[in-house]
Amino acid sequence: MLTVLKRRHSLSCVLFAAALLCPALARADYHIFSPDDIDYHEFEFEHNGDAAFDKNPAFNGQRSYTAELGYGFTEWWHPELEFDFEHGYGDDEPTNLQYMVWENTIRLTEPGENWADVGFYAEYDYGMHKDAPNGVLFGPLVQKDIGRTTHTLNLFFDKELGPNQATSGTDFSYQWQSRWNVFRQLSPAFEIYGDAGQLDHVPAFQQQQFLIGPVALGSFLMGDASKLKYEVGYLFGATDDSSKGTVRWRLEWETHF
Amino acid sequence: MLLKKFLRFMLCCSALIFAAYVPAALAEDAAPPAEPHLDIQNHRYVPDHITVPAGVKFKLTVKNNDSSPEEFESFDLDREKIVAPGQEITVFLGPLDPGDYKFFGDFHQDTAQGVMTAK
Repeated sequence: MLTVLKRRHSLSCVLFAAALLCPALARADYHIFSPDDIDYHEFEFEHNGDAAFDKNPAFNGQRSYTAELGYGFTEWWHPELEFDFEHGYGDDEPTNLQYMVWENTIRLTEPGENWADVGFYAEYDYGMHKDAPNGVLFGPLVQKDIGRTTHTLNLFFDKELGPNQATSGTDFSYQWQSRWNVFRQLSPAFEIYGDAGQLDHVPAFQQQQFLIGPVALGSFLMGDASKLKYEVGYLFGATDDSSKGTVRWRLEWETHF
Repeated sequence: MLLKKFLRFMLCCSALIFAAYVPAALAEDAAPPAEPHLDIQNHRYVPDHITVPAGVKFKLTVKNNDSSPEEFESFDLDREKIVAPGQEITVFLGPLDPGDYKFFGDFHQDTAQGVMTAK
């Protein structure tokens, strides 16, 4: 039994190292943030990725990846350092490290104590290229368990900073996940990712980004105090300004040292 | 015009966050009569089987009597929480449908196992 667990632990390390070495791909922020996903004194190594598909060559081929390291410093604060790589639209675009991101998830309520669990998320994006703008993104996180289902809402406001701003206004985006907790190893969910654009001139819905689709997620216990989590999904673009299809994935290893 | 829309939106967000702090008033969320308790002793839950009321919210207290930390965890209950040596934690649960809910100690999975029955 101990040999099997050690092998699983080693396998999870290898998978993680391989994922972190993958060339970075696009936006990779198709990730639902939970106010309850804060584990005191727990390390997390995380890789997110996504790839867009569309007949329109302007959308087809965009990919992004992240490599992240996080730690639960307290029972209510979980910061992460993220390296964000992107590959632009079109096959000829290179893949580059675009941003270094300082993420902070803050739990505001005890899980299950109130009608819903509430948290707050804030990140600072540091552009790695001389022409890239910096930015901040922040907003509330709300989660509600109903029976064996979990429903999570993220509302985000983001603003570019510094002399390289392409826009001066505040952008609004939203994300939703409904998950049916069937098995630890495999549970189905559906997700929505929407971006309404700049608040001072919100475009018509077809000119916004809106993606919706199914996701499978689960986790595997890798010995005492270690866990390998995964998420994989396909998002359908529902507007003219969204790529018609996006595959997204996430791999995360959690452990206590 | 846009400012009014934005302020209206911010008001909605504030109401959403405020709603999370409103004490549960619905009948199915009424405070239960009992508060179940677990002890962690020698990397085991004592008792390893507890019965709780179904259909109401309740508080579970877990006391770690060992000299090393443990993590109370349950996929069925959607909860995980560290319990430091000598510490007692409170886990808010429910309302649960009738049935069995497994829980375990993440740091000592071989021995720290238990079942919660809601009825």
